Amino acid sequence: MDKVVISILGTDRPGIVAAVSDVLMTRQCNVEDVSQTILQREFVGILIASVPENAQPESLREKLARALDPLGLSVLLKPLAADKAPSPPVESEPFVIVTTGPDRLGLVAGITGVMARFSVNITQLKAAFRGGDDPRRNTMIYEVDVPLSIDRGTFMSELRRKADELGLELTAQHRDIFETIHRI
Amino acid sequence: MLTDREVLSTIEMLRSEHLDVRTVTLGISLLNCASHDIDRFCASVREKIRALGRDLVNTCDEIGDKYGIPVVNKRIAVSPIAVAGAPFDASGMVKIARTLDDAARELRVDFIGGFSALVEKGFTPGDRALIEAIPSALSQTERICSSINVASTAAGINMDAVALMGRTVKEAARMSAHADGLACAKLVVFANIPQDVPFMAGAYLGVGEPDAVINVGVSGPGVVKKAIDRARQADATLDLGRLSEIIKRTAFKVTRVGELIGSEVAASLHVPFGVVDLSLAPTPNVGDSVGEIFQSLGLKSIGVPGSTAVLAMINDAVKKGGAFASSHVGGLSGAFIPVSEDLNISEAARLGYLSIEKLEAMTCVCSVGLDMVALPGDIPAETVAAIIADEMAIGVINRKTTAARLIPVPGKGAGDKAYFGGLLGEATIIPMRASDVSGEFIRLGGRIPAPAQSLIN
Repeated sequence: MDKVVISILGTDRPGIVAAVSDVLMTRQCNVEDVSQTILQREFVGILIASVPENAQPESLREKLARALDPLGLSVLLKPLAADKAPSPPVESEPFVIVTTGPDRLGLVAGITGVMARFSVNITQLKAAFRGGDDPRRNTMIYEVDVPLSIDRGTFMSELRRKADELGLELTAQHRDIFETIHRI
Repeated sequence: MLTDREVLSTIEMLRSEHLDVRTVTLGISLLNCASHDIDRFCASVREKIRALGRDLVNTCDEIGDKYGIPVVNKRIAVSPIAVAGAPFDASGMVKIARTLDDAARELRVDFIGGFSALVEKGFTPGDRALIEAIPSALSQTERICSSINVASTAAGINMDAVALMGRTVKEAARMSAHADGLACAKLVVFANIPQDVPFMAGAYLGVGEPDAVINVGVSGPGVVKKAIDRARQADATLDLGRLSEIIKRTAFKVTRVGELIGSEVAASLHVPFGVVDLSLAPTPNVGDSVGEIFQSLGLKSIGVPGSTAVLAMINDAVKKGGAFASSHVGGLSGAFIPVSEDLNISEAARLGYLSIEKLEAMTCVCSVGLDMVALPGDIPAETVAAIIADEMAIGVINRKTTAARLIPVPGKGAGDKAYFGGLLGEATIIPMRASDVSGEFIRLGGRIPAPAQSLIN
C-alpha cells in the first residue's frame, strides 16, 4: 500500500480533524499516524495515511481542499517515499536547553544555528514570545538529541557564547533529571 | 514530551532556590591497611585513599555538569581510626591524622571524616590513644573530622567517656584559640551514631559497610521554603496537614536528585551506591536556611513557642517524601538546626529567641542535636560534659541519634561573635553559667545503664 503525508494549517476551530478524516474514509484511506499542535490560535496538523492501489494523490488533494477551504484551512499532500534502506539511528543523548530573556530579532535563528552546526537535532520545541521584559514570559524550551560523536563541551560553550551575545540566560541539562524529579 | 511546568520549576529550583547535591561522600575502608608499623600503616592508607579517590572530584563535577545540578562538596569517610589504627599511641594517631589530611588535600576533597572511636560500653587502648590525640590532630590539620560515639540505646551512656569528651572539647578549643576554637567545629559527640552519614563532622565508614561506597547528602531547605511560600500565597486557607503534604512532595523531588546523581557517580567510579541521606541541611547562604522555613509556617522566628511542633512536622514530612524517592535511605535523614551554619538560626540566637534549653527540646524531634553551638570560653569542662550527657540521654531513651558539637570560644563571652569561616559560618555565643554547677555529678563517672527500651528481643 502506498502512503501519503498530509499537513493542514489554519485558524483553530472544532471539526477540523473530523472533516479531514471523513474525506479520507470516503476515499478508502486509513489514517495510520497523526499529530497536531495549536499555537496561539492557529492549528497545524500532520497525518500519515495509507491509500488504495492506483489512488491519485492529486485528486485526493483536490477533494481535501474542497472540504477544507470553506473552513479557512489550507492543505498540503505528498506521497510518502518508501524507505529503501533506513539510515542507522545516530547514537545520541537527550538534553533540554532552556533560554530566557527579552525578546529580540534573531533569537531562535541564533540558537538553532549553533545546534545545526553541531548536527544536534531538535525533537521538541516550545517557544512563547509574549514580548516585554519579564524574563519568565520569554522562554524557549528545546528538547534535543546531542550526538555522542560530537564534542559536547565545545557545543555547550558555543551555545553559551551565542546566548550571551543575544542577551539570553541559557541552561542545558540532560533530560533524565526532569523526569527523575517529576515522575515516579 | 516534558511539560512547561516540569522544565521551568526544575530550573527555578536550581537557579534561585539553592537546590544542589550538598555532598557526595566516598567511604573507604582502611581495615585492610592494618599494621603494627606506623609508617607502613600510613603508607598503605595514603595509597588506598589515593587509588580509590583519584577520580572522585572530576567525576562529580562531570555528572553535576551533565544534569545542571552542582555537587557542592566532595568528601571522604574512612573506617574509625581507633579501630584501623588500634595498635598506635597518641603521637601515632596524630601522624595518621596528618596522613589523612594530606590525602584529602591531594584529592581536593574538602573534609575527610573518620578520625573516630566508638566507646559506648568502654575503652580500648586504641580508643584512648585517639581521643588523647584529638586536640592536637584537629588543631594541626585542616580537613579531618572526628566523631566519638559515647552512648547507645543498647549499651547506655558511658559517663567516663562523656567526662573525657568534656575535657577534650575544652583542650581542642584551647589549642585552636587563635581561630575561635575552630577545632571543636570538627568534633562531634554522638549517641547511636549511624555508620553511613555523608555529612561532616559525623561521617565515618562503619564496620559492616563495603570496602568502598558512595553516600549522598542532598539539600534543599530553600526549595522547601519557596514551595511553602508559593502554596500559601496561592491559597491562604492551607492548613498544617496540607502544608505537611507540600513539604513531603518537595522532599521527594529533592531526594530524587541525590538518588540520580549519587547512583551515576557510584557507577562511574565502579563503587557500590550506599544511601541517600534525606537531611535538610542549610548553609550560610541567603535563601538556604532551615530557620526561614519556620517563619514561612507562621512563627516569628525559630526558637519561639511552637518551634518544637513545627520541627517535628518538618522532620517527619521530609522523611516520608524522601523515603519514597530513594531506594536506600540512611545517615541522619532529618532536619539539621546548626546554629552557625544557618544565617537565620544564627540571627535567632543573637536576638535571644533561641536559648540552649529550647535547642535541647528541639533535638528531641530532629535528627542531629546541639550543632555548632558557641559557648563562653570559660565554661567548665564538667559543664560541657553535662550538656553532652543531656543530649546523649535524649538519644538513648528515644532510640534516635543525637549529637553535640559544642564550641567553647576562648577569650569570648555570651553575646560575642565567633567566626569559623566558609561552610561553618559564624555564631553568636549563647549565655551559660560559668560556675561549676554540674561538676560533682560528672565526677561520679561510670556507665548509666541501658534503658528498658533496649530489651526488645
